Amino acid sequence: MNIYDVVLKRIREIQTKTEEQEPLTNISASSTLAAEITLISSLLIALVMLRLVNTVLMIVIVLAVFVVALTFMPIMPRLKREQNDSFNSMIFFVIVALGIIITLFYWGNLNV
Amino acid sequence: MNPLIPIMVILPIACALLLNLLHKKDKTIKILAILVALTIPIIPLIASYGTYFFGGYAPLAENSAIAQNLPAFITSSALNVFHPAITYNFDSAQKVMVFILGLIAFLAIFTSLNETKKPSGVYAFLMFMGTAAVSAILLTDDIFNLYVFFEIAAITQVGIIVASKVKNNYETALKYMILGSVAAPLLLLGIALLLGLTGSVNITDIIYSLKNGVVDPQNPVLLMACGLIVFGWLYGSGLPPFHTIKSAVYSKALPHGAALLQAFSVFTFVALGIIILRIFSFLPFAQIVIIVISLLAMILGITMALMQNDFKRIIGYLAVGELGYIGIGLGLGTALGITAGLFQAINEAIITAFLFIGFGTVLYKTSISDTRKLGGLMIENPKVALLVLLAGLAMAGVPPLNAFQSKLQLIQASISAGLPELGIIMILISIVTFMTFMKAFYTIFMRPKPVELEINDKNIPKATIISMLVLLAVCIILGLFPQIATDLLQVLANSLVI
Repeated sequence: MNIYDVVLKRIREIQTKTEEQEPLTNISASSTLAAEITLISSLLIALVMLRLVNTVLMIVIVLAVFVVALTFMPIMPRLKREQNDSFNSMIFFVIVALGIIITLFYWGNLNV
Repeated sequence: MNPLIPIMVILPIACALLLNLLHKKDKTIKILAILVALTIPIIPLIASYGTYFFGGYAPLAENSAIAQNLPAFITSSALNVFHPAITYNFDSAQKVMVFILGLIAFLAIFTSLNETKKPSGVYAFLMFMGTAAVSAILLTDDIFNLYVFFEIAAITQVGIIVASKVKNNYETALKYMILGSVAAPLLLLGIALLLGLTGSVNITDIIYSLKNGVVDPQNPVLLMACGLIVFGWLYGSGLPPFHTIKSAVYSKALPHGAALLQAFSVFTFVALGIIILRIFSFLPFAQIVIIVISLLAMILGITMALMQNDFKRIIGYLAVGELGYIGIGLGLGTALGITAGLFQAINEAIITAFLFIGFGTVLYKTSISDTRKLGGLMIENPKVALLVLLAGLAMAGVPPLNAFQSKLQLIQASISAGLPELGIIMILISIVTFMTFMKAFYTIFMRPKPVELEINDKNIPKATIISMLVLLAVCIILGLFPQIATDLLQVLANSLVI
């Protein structure tokens, strides 16, 4: 099964779960594919900046993320499902973000 | 003191209150609102640079009349330079930002008054009140005063959504308000911690305390304050994890309202970003956090925009993604990076307003925002289609339009700062932005009109076309002569260099 078929299958699954009645079009499939490629490539390029910390660490993390991204592909339909307008998921991510920010500020500034 | 500085805030507030009192007197509301809205962008152009002290006086160091009667232990301490008043600063950067905010407010109000048969005093009230609040956020040097206006801006945003009469607007407004009730008190707590440590809410005084050993810069309470203020910054500007609700907010407002709301977000983002840089730039992690959050905003904004079918939601997510460019400029911490970031902020506010007003014509003609149900509108109005296309090209950074200049400067700044990866990501995201816009443009304007689509016979108001032409003119002028803005922004950028 090639990547295009994987994306189509996944979109159909999500449409079934969310009871969407709209047909799957070329535009929606190609948009999902473009978003998928943008997400993975941007993430990998951003991770290359870890070279400023340690080159070996950068290579290991980039390769690991690349393998994980390929394994869990397609990511975008899952991401879209998570980033919905449900208040529960919004407040969940807000609390998670608050925790991460406060932890990182403490750890980052006292240990860098 | 320059009396025109407080007028930039007081005039829209006074007009807002008056319009509310004049509810249902439509003709009077129209005349008064347009006259005041036209004045708002003119004031920063004619005002001279300086400071204004509300409810107090200049610091003792600048005020010999009071200082000479005080004992030496006061005049020789930090109190000598502290600001005992709410201080407003008006400089070249504030000039250009308040002008652009005023221009967008004028065009949004002008368009709304002409698209609505019965202009509501309440709706215009909210637009003026929000403009006044964000102008104050840009001008104030007092972080508590900033918080007060931050809350006013948040409430007016909720009000604009509620007054918009778009399907499910109440639900979105309620969600935004509840999330605000989590984030805004945390911002206030961060400000309270700063006050507790430094004994002042004046930003210049706080920086003085940190730089002159009055407060230990590595105090963990200060780190907590920084984290909380950053969290408030995310909420105010719609950065992740608030990008979903922010894009929903834009999509539930009327197009002219959304044009103004996104300008509020952009300038709140800039004002709080500058404050974080000014106070916390000595923390090594602050810069990294700004860059990481900005990258997240760019990547999530653009990928989510690609997945949407509602054009208002597409622009909403694109607007969130574009905020990332500004953040990267600020996070780079170099003079070129900050100047480019601030320039991008101005450009983004103009272009997104242009897009919202442009795509608003589609809503005006069809009352539909779902791209799957639209098509063939180019035949209906080719001139408007051309203007919308130019707005999309501007957002993608196509020369000779304004975002080309700011994005090019941002890429140059990232390469100069030794982070070419950021430049590559910005180029990639620009390409995908163009693709996302073209997807929406094709489905709305270029593909054959669906049989079931009904297009009304109403002519698009001339005010809407004029607003789009003005915004296009600003895009072209800033694209051909970027130094008009960058020269004014550079002064602030130089003072912020990390």
